[in-house]
Amino acid sequence: MLWTCVLLPSLALDVFARAAPDDTQRPFVVASGGHYPRVVAANGCANAAGIRGDQLISAALAFAPDVVVRDRDGDAEAAALAEVATLLLAFTPQVSIVHSNAVVAEIAGSMRLFGGLTQLLALLGASVESRGYARRMAVAPTPTAALMLARAGHTQPVLRRSALPDVLSPLPLTMLDFEPTTLATLKAAGVTTFGAAHALPRAGLARRFGQHVVDTLDRALDRAPDPQRSYEPPPRFERKLVLPAPIDNVEALGFGVNRLIGDLAGWLLARGLGVVRMSLALIHERYVRDRGIPPSTAEFRLGAPARAPAHLHAVMRERLARVTLPASVEAIVLTSDETAPLAGRNFGLLPEDEADAVVVPLVDRLRSRLGDDVVTVLATHPEHRPEYATSATTPATRSSQPRTHAHSTGPQKRNRKASPLEQPSAATDAPRPLWLLDEAKILSGALETAPWILRDGPERIESGWWDGHDLRRDYFVAETPQGGMVWIYRDHRYGTDDGEWFMHGVFA
Amino acid sequence: MTSAAHSAAIARLLTHPAIWRGGDCASEPASIASGFAELDAALPGGGWPRGALTELLVEREGIGEVRLTLPALVRLQAEGRSVVWIAPPHRPYAPALAAAGLDLARLIVIRGCSSAEALWAYEQALRAPECGAAFGWMQAHEDRALRRLQVAAREGRTWGVLWRRPGQRASATAAPLRLALSPQQTRLAVRVLKRRGAELAQPVLLDLARTPGAPLYPLPDGMPILQRTSTSPPPARQHRLRTSQRKAS
Repeated sequence: MLWTCVLLPSLALDVFARAAPDDTQRPFVVASGGHYPRVVAANGCANAAGIRGDQLISAALAFAPDVVVRDRDGDAEAAALAEVATLLLAFTPQVSIVHSNAVVAEIAGSMRLFGGLTQLLALLGASVESRGYARRMAVAPTPTAALMLARAGHTQPVLRRSALPDVLSPLPLTMLDFEPTTLATLKAAGVTTFGAAHALPRAGLARRFGQHVVDTLDRALDRAPDPQRSYEPPPRFERKLVLPAPIDNVEALGFGVNRLIGDLAGWLLARGLGVVRMSLALIHERYVRDRGIPPSTAEFRLGAPARAPAHLHAVMRERLARVTLPASVEAIVLTSDETAPLAGRNFGLLPEDEADAVVVPLVDRLRSRLGDDVVTVLATHPEHRPEYATSATTPATRSSQPRTHAHSTGPQKRNRKASPLEQPSAATDAPRPLWLLDEAKILSGALETAPWILRDGPERIESGWWDGHDLRRDYFVAETPQGGMVWIYRDHRYGTDDGEWFMHGVFA
Repeated sequence: MTSAAHSAAIARLLTHPAIWRGGDCASEPASIASGFAELDAALPGGGWPRGALTELLVEREGIGEVRLTLPALVRLQAEGRSVVWIAPPHRPYAPALAAAGLDLARLIVIRGCSSAEALWAYEQALRAPECGAAFGWMQAHEDRALRRLQVAAREGRTWGVLWRRPGQRASATAAPLRLALSPQQTRLAVRVLKRRGAELAQPVLLDLARTPGAPLYPLPDGMPILQRTSTSPPPARQHRLRTSQRKAS
């Protein structure tokens, strides 16, 4: 086993700095709440001004009157940590959150795939840094040791278990998550380093401070099992990105959308899913919201489950090009509405097999630009009335894979009103035209000028008295004077025998 | 060398793709059989061209113009490629299409968009490798747009069909194949207006009465519809009742 610990030393600052990069140019501190707020973290500019951690905010203001003070955002930090954990899941299946700003991941099984330890660590670090977080990393055979080394800034990887005692012994005990009282008592006894604590009699140490202290020391040295609780990504993806500045044209959203799609792709990969339906909400500025204008939302539906960022981005770009913003946007929220299992893609045996880059299916491209109601796939519907025998469905609904959390329940639940005469009429031997007119066309004038020849019929279709679209028609195949074959009917709805003639279809 | 060997050598030489003789058709790199032997004989390569535009000038609706293309579409779908219909003039009637053997899940129908959007969709469909045939019923075409579509069809290896009314016939076209369809008694006359090959004087006559989607076979003798004010009942032939619940009771 080989563990790497990714420590985010300035997470409290980074969650604010991501949203407003300009603030990094000025003294900036994050404060704890309460009556006497203290400095939790300060940026380099504030440090230069003399501001240190755990100072009172009033003292910090005395050092730098123009300091920007923000209250600590615990929720944002937790979300950021979950984001980093999800990122790491792209590299290894075993990832755990061990502290409020640290994640450990088991990497022994992934080194070969990613081209060695150095390469893998570089990839990990780059992927965390690309999200705007400062990080510190360490490698050790146990998760506890990796955490200690990361905190101590020991970046040299420790690969062998036998090297652990020498490396850990000089480290201060404050690198471990012991209670402050434990640390204070040990310090009073002159025990400040890991090595000194480990040299103490184990029975006495356990009696004085509890068994967990001894266990922690043993786990760091791989002398006791150290089970880790695996991080599991949430079942539904929803991520909000606050934009650096309000944006009022859609093209400028590209950067933010890219970032969210990257996150979504990482989440999908970690859960082994592909997205079928997703939506992007564009949240307007507060003064617009107060006027009662709801967020603009764009929904995306894909023809088949997809995960590749290039694919998702292409679909989104086409669709967003048609969105008009009623007001400027300050934040965007990407949500996965429906997902389906999607197996990974095997790498090709030969290099040229990889040439087929991500190709966005035609259906997705057409629908993202033209809309779902324009691009349809037909299906037959068991119904005698010709108008209702064709149903236009959206192409995605024919995907037969099971959905993980589709919001509708039950496979293909039919909640249509059951009709008394329902029976499939597909196997009819009666002639049916390939084209059906959108509206039956009345023929009164056309029949007067030249005779139409009836070639076949009549075929009585009488149905629909139960749902208000009652019809009673005699259908004929007729030849027009110009030589075309059409489907016409005589309307007997009103019980008379001399109803009007209508043209309803074309035998194209 | 005997004369037979000579002629065999010459024949082999003449199959070179760079050589084209006025009397015969250019060899089409790939084609899809139309399902009608007489028509295949008249088309270069022995079928509808894959990777090129085909223009079909239809004299009027209802003469079997779509039925003419259905066997090729069924064949393309069997290869796993899909079919896209852009802006068809009427609603495609699913039960008839399914009865004709078309896989409806592989038939994408685009209706109700502007002509610019339709043109865009047409080009996308022609370029897409998964699309085997793209039919477009667009109204007007600029020459430039047409040439673009032809390039797209060639790159995507898609059979593109442009449906046109005969009035648009006079203009020159970028499509390498252009056919005019008109009814002749009970048959469909296909005149080859343009092909990569010699001109064809005689139209090809096809009997579409037996094809799937045809109204009836054999064609019975008809009777004219009398004036609409007439009170005469419908002709007293077999009265095929489908669902007349009320009448049955």
